[in-house]
Amino acid sequence: MNVHEKKYTEEHEWIELSEDGKTGTIGVSVYAAKSLGDVVFVELPALDAEVTAGDSMGAVESVKSASDILTPVSGKIIEANNVLEEKPGTINKSPEGEGWIARIQVKDGGELENLMSMDEYAKFTAE
Amino acid sequence: MYWEALVQACKFQIYVSRSIDPFLNLSIEHYLLQKSPPSSTILFLYVNRPCVVIGRNQNPWLEVDLNLLKQPRLSGHTRVVDGTHSTLPWENVELVRRRSGGGTVFHDEGNVNYSVICPTANFTRDKHANMVTMAIREVNRRARVNERHDIVLDQGGVLDERDWPDPADMRRTIFHPNSGENPPLKVSGSAYKITRHRSLHHGTCLLASADLPKISQYLNSPARPFIRARGVESVRSRIGNVHFESKRSTPRFYKSFRMEVIKKFAELYEIGRPPYTSLFRGEIRSDGDGERATGYIGKKLGNVGEVQEGIEELRSSKWLYGQTPQFTLSSHSNEEDERERPPLPKDFPPSAHVYLKIRSGVIDSSRISISSDEDSANAEIELFDQVLKEKSIHDIDDFNDVLNRVELGASTEVSSVSRWLNTMLGKPNGLL
Repeated sequence: MNVHEKKYTEEHEWIELSEDGKTGTIGVSVYAAKSLGDVVFVELPALDAEVTAGDSMGAVESVKSASDILTPVSGKIIEANNVLEEKPGTINKSPEGEGWIARIQVKDGGELENLMSMDEYAKFTAE
Repeated sequence: MYWEALVQACKFQIYVSRSIDPFLNLSIEHYLLQKSPPSSTILFLYVNRPCVVIGRNQNPWLEVDLNLLKQPRLSGHTRVVDGTHSTLPWENVELVRRRSGGGTVFHDEGNVNYSVICPTANFTRDKHANMVTMAIREVNRRARVNERHDIVLDQGGVLDERDWPDPADMRRTIFHPNSGENPPLKVSGSAYKITRHRSLHHGTCLLASADLPKISQYLNSPARPFIRARGVESVRSRIGNVHFESKRSTPRFYKSFRMEVIKKFAELYEIGRPPYTSLFRGEIRSDGDGERATGYIGKKLGNVGEVQEGIEELRSSKWLYGQTPQFTLSSHSNEEDERERPPLPKDFPPSAHVYLKIRSGVIDSSRISISSDEDSANAEIELFDQVLKEKSIHDIDDFNDVLNRVELGASTEVSSVSRWLNTMLGKPNGLL
């Protein structure tokens, strides 16, 4: 199995590890972006925040709804995607690319093993 | 406390608040969202005293005329607005920022708030708007849910009978939507908060709010033409009341609306017929083998640890003002905000320019100058920035106190600029 494979949570976030496996990029899935509707504001996580898998690390607002964004793994937030401050709609245009939300210093790579592969996630969302 | 145990145990919960404190009611609601079992469904009804409620990601300086709101630090003053004594219909209107998304609304005793908390897996934006529309239709058949998930009253005449929709259709009524130029009137708006397992839908419902036309003056900020903000802007709608009759009947309207909504909720979730008459005679009780909890709740719950923390958070300036997405306030058109500005006050120095960039309610950078000469202007920008930088807007009582720390000689001009800033940013000293 490729350790750098993109993984998904049941709450529709994705995470992809860097080459060295030490940091991960987090965002919301295409499926989530569709169900959120037009994103009008993104509350980005604070830099250096220590988070535990499943914690709320930020929030997005769409169609009068504030929705939490959860971190798939534990670690420290090292970067937030500032593009989203000016252009929150990037999440709708490219949720799994330019619309990434944050980068995290991964505490325990083992946590990724509990997450779904792309195929598993596709089946999960088809249900 | 008995109530805390019920919140964590019961599958269906129905509460009515006896308090009209918006901070308490919103914090009880938040407590219910966080503490109730993942599979439970909850209905909570409350009325707030007059307040303006902005959405989670909104800008109070842009959405609200803060000069008209309660200013806790200035007591005993007769407020003077535009040189005349205030004729505002409400004294002491408070500013509240809720945790859910959406736009700004006005609450008073003629407005009822409903909130439904349910598993995120079962959540849709229309489900409970439909439920409340059914309740409203018991007294007004013009009610329907529109494409923004708001509830509106159609204004036109009755449709041809062939075009009548199914009575169960909550998106269409038997009336034409518009009457001439008059579009449907909004009586209820909604906002949502979605967490991992639990979702909250809360909405307003104007039953018989007094002085509807006067509400808009609270929602017209003098700074609107000068502020460019990230975040969420309100969508303005024409509003109306569900009831046309005398506003004096408000308590009766509230009581019957409450009962109708509870009935529809009980039907929707097939929880059986609650004992309506005895339901709200006393304090909270549980029945159905501990499956249901119902009753009045109120002030006492402010003592519950997490509710108390919720109230403190909502009242904090960090939440009220610091949660504001980045914005700029500028007296003149510039690259970031090219709009043409309305005329500035007569005493605003002709060569003066003001630009503030505000992040999390704190001045991030500024460019304020008074002189027309470029070198002098640049020096002023530097000096003013030194006294303004890192200052929280909320902590400034009067811009004159801050700007006059800079020794410029031209103090009347500094005072004029300060007065303008005071008005723009809701500092009552600017009006006195």
